[in-house]
Parts: sequence; structure tokens; C-alpha cells
Amino acid sequence: MGADRPEATAPDRRDKTSPWPVVVVLGIVLSEVGILFNLYPVSVTGLLLFTGSVAGIVTEAGYAVRPWRLLVGLGAAFVVVGLLIVGSQVDGGLASYLDAAARDDGIVQRGYTVAAAGAIAALVGIVGSRTVDRVVFR
Amino acid sequence: MGALLVGIGAFLARTENWRAYAPLAGDPAATGGSHEHEQGHGHKPSGIIRWLTTVDHKDIGVLYGTYGVIAFLWGGVAVLLMRLELTTPTSTLIEPSLYNALLTSHGITMLFLFGTPIIAAFANYFVPLLIGADDMAFPRINAIAFWLLPPGALLIWAGFFTIPLPVDIGPAQTSWTMYAPLSAQQPNPGVDLMMLGLHLTGVSATMGAINFIATIFTERGENVTWANLDIFSWTVLTQSGLILFSFPLLGSALIMLLLDRNFGTTFFAVEGGGPILWQHLFWFFGHPEVYILVLPMMGLVSWILPKFAGRKLFGFKFVVYSTLAIGVLSFGVWAHHMFGSGMDPRIRASFMATSLAIAIPSAVKTFNWITTLWNGRIRLTAPMLFCIGFVSNFVLGGITGVFLAAIPVNLVLHETYYVVGHFHYIVMGMIAFAGFGAIYYWFPIVTGKMYQKTLAKWHFWLSMIGVNITFFSMLLMGYLGMPRRYATYDFNPALAPLASVELLHQVTTFGAFLIGLGTLVWLWNIVQSWAEGPEITDPDPWNTKRDGLHGREFAWFEEQLAADGKLATTDGGEASDASRGSSELRSDGGEADEEQLATDGDAEEQAQPTDD
Repeated sequence: MGADRPEATAPDRRDKTSPWPVVVVLGIVLSEVGILFNLYPVSVTGLLLFTGSVAGIVTEAGYAVRPWRLLVGLGAAFVVVGLLIVGSQVDGGLASYLDAAARDDGIVQRGYTVAAAGAIAALVGIVGSRTVDRVVFR
Repeated sequence: MGALLVGIGAFLARTENWRAYAPLAGDPAATGGSHEHEQGHGHKPSGIIRWLTTVDHKDIGVLYGTYGVIAFLWGGVAVLLMRLELTTPTSTLIEPSLYNALLTSHGITMLFLFGTPIIAAFANYFVPLLIGADDMAFPRINAIAFWLLPPGALLIWAGFFTIPLPVDIGPAQTSWTMYAPLSAQQPNPGVDLMMLGLHLTGVSATMGAINFIATIFTERGENVTWANLDIFSWTVLTQSGLILFSFPLLGSALIMLLLDRNFGTTFFAVEGGGPILWQHLFWFFGHPEVYILVLPMMGLVSWILPKFAGRKLFGFKFVVYSTLAIGVLSFGVWAHHMFGSGMDPRIRASFMATSLAIAIPSAVKTFNWITTLWNGRIRLTAPMLFCIGFVSNFVLGGITGVFLAAIPVNLVLHETYYVVGHFHYIVMGMIAFAGFGAIYYWFPIVTGKMYQKTLAKWHFWLSMIGVNITFFSMLLMGYLGMPRRYATYDFNPALAPLASVELLHQVTTFGAFLIGLGTLVWLWNIVQSWAEGPEITDPDPWNTKRDGLHGREFAWFEEQLAADGKLATTDGGEASDASRGSSELRSDGGEADEEQLATDGDAEEQAQPTDD
């Protein structure tokens, strides 16, 4: 994608600045700390920063025209990962997943945290793609 | 957390807005002022925002370097506290638990927060210049790789910051090897934080390695081929390959250990994979880590040493081949760290063979450095002194390693100070020495200034004497059977010569403080010279053109000086007497006094004592 849009990358290379790397790092750090210590707000914040900044930096680098589709994809991936984590502790169908949400189980809580953060990111991506003007990203 | 998100949103809106809608091309007010060589890239913001947002390889090199120095000072203070404690056999200054924590922090800090980043500092700044690239292949990933390090360090050191706080988190006491079951069973959350921090630094190193591989393969200038690729870039390429194959394994092993600690898995428990599994995984990473640290430093010495010997590097091809050979062999020797663990003797013997084989490419390098010096016109500048000290220390550190590779000797000396002396000859006597040499050598390019010659020589001699006092004493203590890692050594004098051990500990501490003093001299020299030193106007401050050894990075420096209008020889005939003298001296067949030749770089150098 980037190869066919050299005009998007060239000015960035000359500028030699980007606000995104620091945010990507903050997202990774908060995600890791939050998930390990099961700190719900920290995990969600970290994962949102991570998904958002990856979508942002990829767009800025010229590998994507707009960030929304990638944001939706990353969010969906985290939903899947989160549900897989929950699934490792749950047997049965939807009802057992719902029951597990009420349990005081650290691993299940972490799984739902990841899934919830992914769902928020995907939602932001969907809303953004329908509301934010394309021109901003040209 | 909500406020944090809003704050980051505002930061992004501000900076993205400035980037997208208000391009600063040609706006001198918006150009960062602290870096002098940015004429072609005058779009940078000023102040802290410039450093937070830069993706310029030179800026990131400076950031890596600053970070590495801070880590070096932290690790240095930690070890000086430990050495003070060890001047007496009993516990007097600090508690054994704090000693253990300092021991752990010293090891991890020096290897992961100083050693790897300081190499990344040189590589970031100079590999693109040496290969004729305008930047790294992935500038943003380069910035991400650096910014992962500060939070990594904060997490690794977190346990120390919480000591005064009323929380139940302390510094990790696992040693840098984090052997199970000790590391799996310590309930302290500080251990988790340290492992998370270590994981982040591993991710950082891996991202950096991928970037260097891509850069050296794809971003070389038209005139830079595999045949004439410089030796430093060859070693960085090899090191990046080692990182690519070893650091992800460390990351995976750390996650497994974190799972054991927090989620009840049994990867390294006796009823599961067993504690020895950790040792295998750790050292499969850990031994290549030694070469990750030392190969680029060997590359620096191979690059710098010939400049002051007046000769090309002897046997360039074989130095490259030996680098590649060490890189491959480094993955087949890990179990020599575990000879005492009870493994199958047949496997042990095979690892002894491969470990001894590493002596061959290592010796190839050593003989090539010595042969380069042979009949050369040696100029004992500070960078050269550190290169020669490097070779000297490598002989001691390397040969003690050959002894340790032999199983019978190893079984006697393992877990003693002999091992500590051996690897400190390598990490301090070689890795840090090459780093200091490179800092002096490239100081004019990075800062546009020259350092102070006398202070640099004080630094070298304090370090060289300090290193040999400190680490040779450790070798002797190892022969006396003094076990490593212990906070106290108040044993029965009937069992071992306590008085001799105590004396050697005191000598070691004295040597360590000599190194500390030398480091302070270096720090003062660098800071003061950078702030107040005279500007360099000679693009060839080391007189390497005379010998046909002018590097691509100094050719780039010459272009920058010309672009800035600072070039002594092209500024309209205003060159100083000293500069004119330089040209004359360079063309007189090299018969002038070596010292004169080396110090005649420019007028400003005469104004202040600087290195030759």
C-alpha cells in the first residue's frame, strides 16, 4: 500500500518527526502492566492507546489511507483473543460465558478486559469511518 | 486513566495539527536549535517536543547514548555500594537483602540498559552514515524501539523506588539470571515488574535488530557493496542476527516464568518442565547475548584502531569471517554455563568442544589487531589508548574464558570470583572500553566540539589500572575459592585463607573506586567540552586523510561543515595558522612529529588542550 503512495511518505521522511511512537510505547507498557496485575482501567487504556496509535502510525507512514479499517481489524482481533482467554476457563455455550463474567476468576476477568477494549476500539473505528472527513487524512 | 487519554489526545491533536496543516519548512523559528547539522531537515519542533517526536536516526542515537550513560551511572553506583560492603567480611553498611537487590540490578542494568543501548547509540548514529543511507529503513519503528527502554528501566528499577513507600513491593533479589525455582517462588511483585521491564527491553532490542538488518540490506548507497561494507556495519549486522534469534526466546521464557509466578503453570516447577529447563532457555539466549554485546564493540575497535596505526585493518576479510563464525558458534555453546548442573557428560563434552572452538575466531581477531599495529605509525590518542586497552584486556578476559570452557577446570572454578573476574574483563575491560574509545573518536561529529586531551588520558589510565586491579584480584580470589554473589564472607579461617580473601576484596574495592573516579573524569570532560569546548572546523580532526583512511562518516561531517559555512579550508581563506599548518604537514610525507600531526586539527584545538 505504501509503495503506490510515495507522495505520502516522502514529506514525513523529510520532517523526521512523528508523535505516534511515544503513544505506541505507552500503549504497550500500560497494556502489559494492566493485564499482568489485572488492573482493568489500566489495561483498557493501554489497549486503546495501542490499537489507536498503531492505526495512526500506519496511516501516517502512508501504508493506509485512513486508520479506521485497521482500527476495526485490531479491535476485532483483541475481541477474539480476549474471548479465547475466557474460553480457556469456560466449558459450554453462551450461558456459561455469561456466568463466567460474574465469577471472581482473574483469568476470565483479564479475558473480558481484552475483549472489551477490543470492542471499544472496533466501535471507534466504525464510528470514525462514518463520521470523520476523508480529507483530513490526505 | 480517562485524563491520561484526554491528555494524549490533546498532544496528538497539537502535534498532528502542526505536522499536517502548518508545515514548518523554511521557518527558522521552528527549527530545533541544539543540533547543528540539520540544514537539510529543518522541520523539527523545538524543546522537549522535538526529542519526544523525533524519528531522525542521529537524534535517536543521541537519545540512546544519554539513556545508556544514565544506566551506566546507576549500575556503577550500585556496584560501588556493594564493593564498600565487601571491604569487611561481615555485614556492616547494607543489609544482605539490599546487597542481593543491588547485585541483581547491577547485572541487568549493565547488560540490558547500558550495554545493548550504548551499542544501539553508535549504530543508530553511524551505520546510516557509514553505508550512505539517509536514515534507517523504518524510522518510526526506530523511535518505538528507543522509547520502550525508559519505561523498561523504570519497571526494572521500580522495586528501589518503592522502598520508602508504604507498599509491599521491593527490588528483585533473583540475580540477573533469574534461576528457577528462586525466581518463581519469590512473592515480591517487584520481581514481576522487573521481568516486565526486561521483556520491554527485549522487544526494543528485537525491533532495533530488524531495523538494522533491513537498513543494511536495503538502504546502502550506490557505492557501498558487500565487499566494501565497513567492519562496524558488518558486526552490527551479525549482532542483529543474533538478537533476532535469541531475544524472542528470552521474551517467551520470561512470559513462561511470569505465568508460573502468577497463573499456576508449571513450566519451571519440579513437577513440570523442571528448573533446569529455565537454565537451558535462559542460556540459549544468554550466551549469544555475550556476543551481542561484544561483536559490535570489536567492530568499533576494528574501525578505529587502524586510523591511529596509519594502516588499513590487517586481514579485513578474515575479521569479517571470524565475526560470522563467532555469530554462528555462539548458539552452540550455551551449556558451558551449566557444566555443574548434572547434565549428561557426553553432552557436556560436546559443549566443551564448541566453546573451545570459539577461541579460534577470537584469536584471529586479536592477531589481526596486533598485526595492524605492527610497523604502524602509532598515535596514542585517547580513542587509540582505549582500543589498545581493549585488546590487552581481551587477552586476559579471553584466555580465562578458555580455561573456564574446560570441564575439569570449570568444575573447580565455577560459582567463584574467577568467573566474575573473567566476564568483567570482557564487559568492562572490552565493551565499556570500546564504547569510551568510540565516544572520543566520534565526539567531534556528534557535538561539533573537541574533548579535553589531558582529562581523557586521566580517564584512560584510571580505568585501565582500575580494571586490572579490580578484576585480576577477582581471579585470585577465585583461585582461593571465594564464592560469587555472597553479601558476606565471614567463614571459618580454618577452612580457607580468610585474611587473604579479605585483603583481595579490599584491593578489588580500591580498583573499583579508581574506575569510578575515571568515570567521573570522563563525565566531566564530556559535559564540559560539549557545553564550552571550541567548535571543530577541521573535517579531518584525526588526520586520517594522510593515510587514506578517511571514513565515510567524516566525509559526511565535512559536507555538514561546508553546508554550515564552518569549514576551515573553504571559508574564504580565513583558516587559522594551525589549519594551514595541518595541510602542510599532511603533504610533507609524514615526517613531522606524531604528536604535532595529531593536534594540528584546527585553531580552536590549540586554544584548549584537546586530544590528538
